[in-house]
Amino acid sequence: MSQAIVQVKDLHKSYGDREVVKGISFDVKQGETFGILGPNGAGKTTTLEMIETLRPIDKGTVTVNGINVAADPQKIRYLIGVQTQSTAFMDKVKLTELLEQQAAAYGEKIDPLKLLKDVNLESQASSYVENLSGGQKQRFSIAAALVHQPKVFFLDEPTTGLDPQARRRLWELIRMVKKQGTTVILTTHYMEEAEMLCDRVAIMDEGAIVALDTPENLVRQLLKRGFKKERKVEQADLEDVFIDLTGKELRG
Amino acid sequence: MPSWLYTVVVFAKISIRRYFRDRVAIFFTVLFPLIFLVVFGSFSKNGSVSFHIGLINQSDSSFAQKFVRNTKGSNMFKIDDTVTTLAQAKAKMSRSEIDAALVLPPGFGDVRNGQPTGQAVIYYDENSAQAAQTLESVIKGEFEGINASLVKAPAPFSVVSKSTNTQGLSKLDYTVSGLIGFSIIGLGIFGPVNYFPLMKRQGVLRRLHITPLRVWQFFVSSVLSNAVIGLFSIAVMIAVASSPLFHFKIVGNYLELAVFIMFGILTIFGIGLAIGGWAKNENQAAPLANIVVFPMLFLSGTFFPRYAMPEWLQHVTAFLPLTPIIDGIRMIATEGKHLTDIGPQLGLTAIWAVIIYAIAFRVFRWE
Repeated sequence: MSQAIVQVKDLHKSYGDREVVKGISFDVKQGETFGILGPNGAGKTTTLEMIETLRPIDKGTVTVNGINVAADPQKIRYLIGVQTQSTAFMDKVKLTELLEQQAAAYGEKIDPLKLLKDVNLESQASSYVENLSGGQKQRFSIAAALVHQPKVFFLDEPTTGLDPQARRRLWELIRMVKKQGTTVILTTHYMEEAEMLCDRVAIMDEGAIVALDTPENLVRQLLKRGFKKERKVEQADLEDVFIDLTGKELRG
Repeated sequence: MPSWLYTVVVFAKISIRRYFRDRVAIFFTVLFPLIFLVVFGSFSKNGSVSFHIGLINQSDSSFAQKFVRNTKGSNMFKIDDTVTTLAQAKAKMSRSEIDAALVLPPGFGDVRNGQPTGQAVIYYDENSAQAAQTLESVIKGEFEGINASLVKAPAPFSVVSKSTNTQGLSKLDYTVSGLIGFSIIGLGIFGPVNYFPLMKRQGVLRRLHITPLRVWQFFVSSVLSNAVIGLFSIAVMIAVASSPLFHFKIVGNYLELAVFIMFGILTIFGIGLAIGGWAKNENQAAPLANIVVFPMLFLSGTFFPRYAMPEWLQHVTAFLPLTPIIDGIRMIATEGKHLTDIGPQLGLTAIWAVIIYAIAFRVFRWE
């Protein structure tokens, strides 16, 4: 079994009287894709933000690559990359310039065109972010988050609001990132997304982790408890029909 | 280049490029101050004209005609040609459009006993007694000259005025240095107060917060780009002011002026950084910015020269952050002073810079 790169122990967070993260613990292994699932308000985003050094930790410890997040946030920032909202880029700045600037924040000089090629945006090099489509924006924000080749890559609901084609393109991209050895931690509302991408998932509800295992094991355990789906499972669903008819190619 | 410097330079370079792609920003930082320059500059261009008067000539003597011509040529008064009757003059006086009316009654300048004689009448309302007095003494002086030439008696006393041959300050000098101050405020405070909350809302600052970028690196790069953009817009303004349209003249050293203006931009921009960096959203930033800016806008000598204020107010407003900046700019640009001569201005600005940046660092938040 490979080594844990992110270790979360007894993590707590309260806003006023409301406890939103109630002492959760989990490890993320080097090189795996780890999903955090759960309804809105379950504490997914707050948990991620504490690991990302964006929010002070009330109680408990988080380490990334053996470094304590609360004690040395500056070192952590070199190790992690975070995909941010697609609006988080200034207007009237070319994609190449945005990547140059993002790398400069880490004190690094990079070749923006190569990075754009990785996410299939080399033809948009001189465009501004505001002129990209939704899927292009998401892919660009992934490129921006990876300029410094982080060890751990965080994505918060990466495919929300995208059409099926753009989602599939993004999944491919995330798999590619994983293949290069980067550990990926993502949150999502889409179960099939978690099934497709994640090696293991943690399901959160009301600030606690209620289940943590591989998607297959979670399904098996549920079936063992005697669960039966009311509708007969088809070999395809409506999304497969949609993709079959409209193609997998990226639009826009 | 050390990596921290590379970071700062790239950030500054990109925000400068972004500025030149933003027409709205260029309008507000370059064109807007220029409009003020045209408006205020045209007021102060006719600096010698202090009073507007109506001149009503009811006499048809040749002396009266000649007198009217001479008075119109005088640069002490601006004569409103639309006034031809006393009633019109009174109406205009009541609206303060003219300060007084000079009436040459019928028979003024008619020749009696071989000499032209007559009595002119000055009408004024209570608001413009001072204008009437000045008008009266000028007309008296003119009459004395005429009388002397007619009577030909040697005058026992006389007075002549001599120029000291030193370049005094014109109103335009105050206007231009004040407008440079206005420019610095517009760019340094209203700029960041608008776009920092916007960058927070869009998550731009949050994205930077996840990176190792330090607050001071972000501040230094912002100051740098602001200084470059500010110098550019001020250079445009000075170029227009120096054109034959306004005849503004810089007698001081350009480099010293640029250095001092950069220092001023740095200081004032800190106020914008503090407010914009602190505010969570536009609703928090705008009212605070107005509270801070308005006293400076009106009391630091941007639009109204401070020498026109009551003395106690001059003492108080001398300590506003923008006051030493505007004074220093004027002293270098139009009085030809050197940086070494304006120690008090440099000192006060430096004190403010320290205070402002101490606050800005303390209250800054990325989200």
